[in-house]
Amino acid sequence: MRVARRIQKRVAVFALLTLAPILTARPAATPGLHLPAHKRVVLPNGLTLLLVEQRGIPLMSFAVLVKAGATSDPAAREGLASVTVDLLRKGTKTRTSEKFSGELDFIGGAYETSTSSDFTNVSAEFMSKDVRQGLDLLADALLHPVFSQEEVAKLLRQDIDGVRSEKDEARSVLPTYFNAYLYGAHPYGRPASGDETSLAAITRDDVTRFYETNYTPGNTIIAAAGDFQAPEMQKLLTERFGGWAARKAPGVALSALAPVTGKRLLLVDKPDSTQTFFAIGNVGISRNDPDRTALRVVNSLFGERFDSMINKELRIKSGLTYGAFSIFDRRRVPGPFLISSFTKNETTTKAIDLTLEVLKQLHEKGLSEEDLASAKTYLKGRFPPSIETAIQLAELLAQFEFYGLDDSEVNDFEARVDAVTPEVARRLIQKHYPLDNLVFVLIGKASDIREAVKKYAQTMDTRPIAEPGFWKISAGGPAKPGS
Amino acid sequence: MKSFLGMEGAIVMRRKRNAAVAVAAMVLFAAFVCAEHLGAQNFPVQTQVLKNGMKVLVQEDHHIPNVALYVFYRIGSRNEHPGTTGLSHFFEHMMFNGAKKYGAGQFDSVMEAAGGTNNAYTARDVTVYQDWFPRTALEKILDLEADRIRDLSLLPDKVQSERGVVASERRTSVDAENGGILDEQLWATAFAAHPYQWPVVGWMSDIEHWTMEDLKHHFEMGYSPSNATMVVVGDVTTDEVFRLAQKYIEPIPSHVPPPPVTTVEPPQLGEKRVVVKKTAQLPLLFIGYHVPQSNSADYYALNVLRTILFSGESSRLYQRVVDKDQLALGVGSQMEPAFDPTLLFLFATPKAGVDPVAVEKAIYEELDRLKTAPATDQELQKAKNILLADFYRQMKTINGRANTIGTYEVFFGDYRKLFEASDAYAKVSKEDVQRVARAFLGDKNRTVATLIPEAGEEPKK
Repeated sequence: MRVARRIQKRVAVFALLTLAPILTARPAATPGLHLPAHKRVVLPNGLTLLLVEQRGIPLMSFAVLVKAGATSDPAAREGLASVTVDLLRKGTKTRTSEKFSGELDFIGGAYETSTSSDFTNVSAEFMSKDVRQGLDLLADALLHPVFSQEEVAKLLRQDIDGVRSEKDEARSVLPTYFNAYLYGAHPYGRPASGDETSLAAITRDDVTRFYETNYTPGNTIIAAAGDFQAPEMQKLLTERFGGWAARKAPGVALSALAPVTGKRLLLVDKPDSTQTFFAIGNVGISRNDPDRTALRVVNSLFGERFDSMINKELRIKSGLTYGAFSIFDRRRVPGPFLISSFTKNETTTKAIDLTLEVLKQLHEKGLSEEDLASAKTYLKGRFPPSIETAIQLAELLAQFEFYGLDDSEVNDFEARVDAVTPEVARRLIQKHYPLDNLVFVLIGKASDIREAVKKYAQTMDTRPIAEPGFWKISAGGPAKPGS
Repeated sequence: MKSFLGMEGAIVMRRKRNAAVAVAAMVLFAAFVCAEHLGAQNFPVQTQVLKNGMKVLVQEDHHIPNVALYVFYRIGSRNEHPGTTGLSHFFEHMMFNGAKKYGAGQFDSVMEAAGGTNNAYTARDVTVYQDWFPRTALEKILDLEADRIRDLSLLPDKVQSERGVVASERRTSVDAENGGILDEQLWATAFAAHPYQWPVVGWMSDIEHWTMEDLKHHFEMGYSPSNATMVVVGDVTTDEVFRLAQKYIEPIPSHVPPPPVTTVEPPQLGEKRVVVKKTAQLPLLFIGYHVPQSNSADYYALNVLRTILFSGESSRLYQRVVDKDQLALGVGSQMEPAFDPTLLFLFATPKAGVDPVAVEKAIYEELDRLKTAPATDQELQKAKNILLADFYRQMKTINGRANTIGTYEVFFGDYRKLFEASDAYAKVSKEDVQRVARAFLGDKNRTVATLIPEAGEEPKK
């Protein structure tokens, strides 16, 4: 068991390794932040390929992005996008689920899926020497899944239990409740993993229909990065995906949700809690908002780095919590902005009061030249590690393609960061950081905190954590407070 | 895509859907390697032992203009005593709270202003400090490190507020997580005598009662430069690192290292069981088998064994427990590096309403199968391929490499033992795997911890 000073990614870091002799030194980075050269190809069937060479480690990574996420789930079938992507490998026309797994494992391949509001992702990685077999498997799963009744039923049962398991930990389920309560009936309110009720309603027909509707070459991006030569990789991918029959996929119409006005609070009762987990925020910005890079400078100071205003007050100075942060979750249309932390039951209102006070200070005092200079150096220093590996590059490029962003996102990053002055910061704070219009979601022991937290909002809703779902989604219009 | 909390769960149990892993089996294991080719290394690591005893290891890598710098101290919860458990971890927190040249809060603010970030972790055997920064900040980082190694100030008000932080961390990582609670109970039960029995974060009453004297004593005991190893990987030159280490770190005097831990856990004479009953949606099952310390001849065979049993959806345990019998959402194993005999840890998340005993039965049947008949050639080769691929994954980042080199140096006594591992893995035979399965996976050697949801489900048998 390890405990960390700060919550850190749990990775298999205690790796005792040998040195394979086939590692070659990787070329030195050229000065200035920039994206490595990459190639973009659109095949005749509409599939977009993005290729980045990265020599040195004999691995090849692939990020497959399908432009259908939780927002494509039909009503009352939340979780369908997620279930569908997980079922791809569970049996194809030529391989049973077990055979697929056996072949994947035999080459030490990595294969992971994820579903967000906007898109679905399959990430795979293979040793260079096994890439042909790996790509055969990837193509088989994407192009020829069979969705047997048995596997569909098995996965759905697992997923329903998965939702219940997540509810055993307030920390992991807080974002889902926050999204649901903030967005209500708007598609961003949908839990990407579904809930106990929606999953129970999904049928095999739903899965096949979702697959046939959304998994088309024109609706898909494959980004490849790693130890290859681009022309050869293009050939390998074209061999396997070039014959994928073109079909038109529906676009996903999404309008932005206007920020919530007034203050609303949802208290999710988890009676065994010794701590209250809370998220406070409102609607934020989209992935391609013109203020996006400048806002990162401001937000790193407010709530992203360890020495941020929020963490300084709630952890460093007062010891109320082990962690506090704020984030703009940027999506196709504006995603949530939130400030989040947790504290023992007895200090719930103290921590929330402090959070609101820091937000007020941000508005009243703004940020100095010195603060901003520090944030700029921090962001510039942290960027290269975020694109260190092939899989990071592949996923980033796929997302840029999806959101209509280009290389300037990286190549102009430093210049955009440097352009933030105290005046610019003031404008950004006024525009993007809510103050009087806030949504609160708390998960904690209601009998301890219910009375004390009423003061934060005009309306307070409560819900036991064991109740299926996360928040009522009414058939039309936004969720009504108090319903 | 990442969840917007940006935090990975501390416990391996949950099946993550909207994060990196969505497979039903959460398979976590320390990754090991079998290289197919023997040959000269071209992964050069340079070393120097400073006059005060700290060893510095450097690996140059210029593919990003950044550096990972780790300092491993050979002190952890195993060096603690009842009444002051959790002290190593608390001390790790205090290492950030002010020294002589850089006062309270400055370690972080100066580092972040220089474009860097940091973290640290405490384990049973070691405390590790991690710095990540652009190459331009190298001298500043060494200045910061030297300041706190030599002149850490322990201010009473900081001690008090940090105590609150650690208590919150305990509540979050242990008390609020069913896996955390159960893990704590497993180790506390499996070990009757040895210090591995208490949690790294410490018991809450100990957290509440540490004194300033406890902290000072701990510093004297554990934080001698001679008790530490520094690993630097990234866009540096070896010469500049050694030069700066000599300038900033070498003058720091060393002192007596921690006293040896002499308690040896007596052999376990029969199965141990512990049950936790609490509010929960799902049950949990953890099993620990006593195994030797990392630096033992059985280490490689044990890792091949774990890979055959747990790695990937085609593994024996996943196929049986998750896929065929559908008793659990996930299964996995872990065996962290250790100075002393430790646990090989297995876990399963039974599905709602499933009696953990049924999951146990299936697990033991599979373990017995491997004891009775050896694994197939295909399974053995598959395991070695998985280990090789995972090796490359560790090598992808300067971070992964720094941690790997340091872990080998500290737990195996010499980073060069990395090179011997490939031979050791190549030599692991099906019979070796069977031998260690028989030697260690027996009922007398196991401790079983089960979490049963309270006020609810009648388990299906």
